[in-house]
Amino acid sequence: MRTVPDRHRVWLMKELPLLENEGLLSPETSGRLRAYYETDTRSGTHWAIIACAILGSLLIGAGIILLFAHNWEALSRPARALLSLCPLALGAGLSLTALQNGRGTAWRESAGLFHALAVGASIALIGQTYHLPSDVPAFLLSWALLIAPLMFVLRSTGTSLIYLALLCGWCFAAQRTSGQAAAFWLLILPPAARFAHLARTDRYALHTALSFAGLLAALCLCTGLAFERTVPGLWIVAYSALLSGAGLLGLWLYGDREGWNNLPKTFGTLGTVILAYLFTWSDMWQGIGWDHMRDDWQYRAWGIWLDSGITLALLTGWLLAVRKAFRRESIETLTLAVFPVIATLCFATGSMADRAHGLNALVFNAFMLFLGVMHMVLGCRRNRLRQLNLGMATASLLLVTRFFDTDFAYWIRGLVFIALGTVFLTVNLFMARRKRQKGVAA
Amino acid sequence: MKRPGTLILALLIAVQFGAVLTLIRSREHILNAGDAFRFKTRPIDPADPFQGRYVSLGFEDDYIPVPNIQATGLRYREPIYARIESDAEGFARFTAWSRERPKTGAYLKTRYLGERGHWDADGRRSASLGLHVDMPFNRFYMEEAKAPRAEAAVREATRSTNCWAVVRILNGKAVVEDVVAKGISLRDLSAQK
Repeated sequence: MRTVPDRHRVWLMKELPLLENEGLLSPETSGRLRAYYETDTRSGTHWAIIACAILGSLLIGAGIILLFAHNWEALSRPARALLSLCPLALGAGLSLTALQNGRGTAWRESAGLFHALAVGASIALIGQTYHLPSDVPAFLLSWALLIAPLMFVLRSTGTSLIYLALLCGWCFAAQRTSGQAAAFWLLILPPAARFAHLARTDRYALHTALSFAGLLAALCLCTGLAFERTVPGLWIVAYSALLSGAGLLGLWLYGDREGWNNLPKTFGTLGTVILAYLFTWSDMWQGIGWDHMRDDWQYRAWGIWLDSGITLALLTGWLLAVRKAFRRESIETLTLAVFPVIATLCFATGSMADRAHGLNALVFNAFMLFLGVMHMVLGCRRNRLRQLNLGMATASLLLVTRFFDTDFAYWIRGLVFIALGTVFLTVNLFMARRKRQKGVAA
Repeated sequence: MKRPGTLILALLIAVQFGAVLTLIRSREHILNAGDAFRFKTRPIDPADPFQGRYVSLGFEDDYIPVPNIQATGLRYREPIYARIESDAEGFARFTAWSRERPKTGAYLKTRYLGERGHWDADGRRSASLGLHVDMPFNRFYMEEAKAPRAEAAVREATRSTNCWAVVRILNGKAVVEDVVAKGISLRDLSAQK
């Protein structure tokens, strides 16, 4: 059954008699439309209600954690152990109620969030009662594993975001305490599967976009964390494949939509610009490749297989995204698709020739300038102020950075800064006027 | 559609309760049936965002005397078993180590953390004490107002007397039962201040 906001339905019900009187709709068609919207659609919950419910359960959950963190010494050990089960019992009760009565999104989300926080509170309280040693990775991992099924059972996006946050925390803590976070690649599968299901069934919904954003953020953060870093610079290939793949996936799933309506594309486009900027520094290309492999006690011998496997998997994902989204006539798609190819070639030359770092930096300076010009031209052509500004910001960032690198006099630098600022303002004013004129004409 | 969902949720809730109850049961079992050992300690007071205020326990005897560490072939954080014995003063010390679980006697399951060194003032050089091991009982949780007071009380107490943690150990696992300074429990000591 489709979800249609109440205000849209009310508006249509008011419009139908008018359209019927004007002779635009026959009484039969009007009746069929009325029947369809009354019986075959349901009203969605307003996002503000869901947000309030989520905020409420987050605050209550955090409050309970702090209440227990006070440590009620007056209570006996068994009493505190029993008390530690209370948040869990409360969370379980809420989840069961939300599921059994077939409640709406707000209920399911808040119950899921509360339940997820309650599991953490219970484990923490047991740790406090029995003076368990600090083992942050074990704590975060147990918490994440115990709440993982909630995201499917309650169909709760909030719970999947908490799960992803715990996963990121675990990755960071595990690597920091000389452990290994390779299991991240298995643990990311549940939210990835959930997103794949949402993308098939409810692609344009807000919760699908949020799930995708969370998944991408976690992937972006943890790819670097879970890397063993045995081969210096392999991350260049992995990250360029990941970000380019995300952008291409956005183009395939959401087409030419922009901004919040196409989060993966925005993520990929911005990520590509940031990476390209990092690659414009020649330091990035020094000491990379298999000749500089790290092999002291901090690095495991199998690290090279892990890092290479992750990179290969990301490259495979990127190839699949290229196959799905590739359009020869779209310069944007082409640029996104070609980015990992250039990065991989530069990594290969950097690995083979120690002096290639200058050339690689030069290639990416040219690439970034091209990115800036491309977004400016496309922004002008499509009348999109956001894209135009992205292009100008990219080109300016490159010019300003290179300007500080070189020994130009201060007055020349000053003049260039003023010129750049003037161009920014003028183009924005011009585009805003053009947009207004187009709007009036329409 | 509702039924399988409810069933899975019920199963999940059972697993969650099971995990928490197992944790409680195992710790209670150690506290009831484990052997009590006294470890010399010097506590300080930090905080944990989830679990609240605690007294962090730093131990003097967190090593196993071994003359040649290189010969052991141990890797950093490799799990090992450390044998425990009490000295003439009644304080616990690690005496030997093994990769396999000992069949008799008290032992602790721990991890190798590298070489434990100390500054030899007479020889004016650093000397090795043995294998540095992880102490899996480094926290003693207290009420938020009491923890800083406990630290102050301990600082005062350790000038003249010993401060120790009473730890129950069973089958290689340990739980802190109490921390004692001036012969008084830390909780009572901080309440007196």
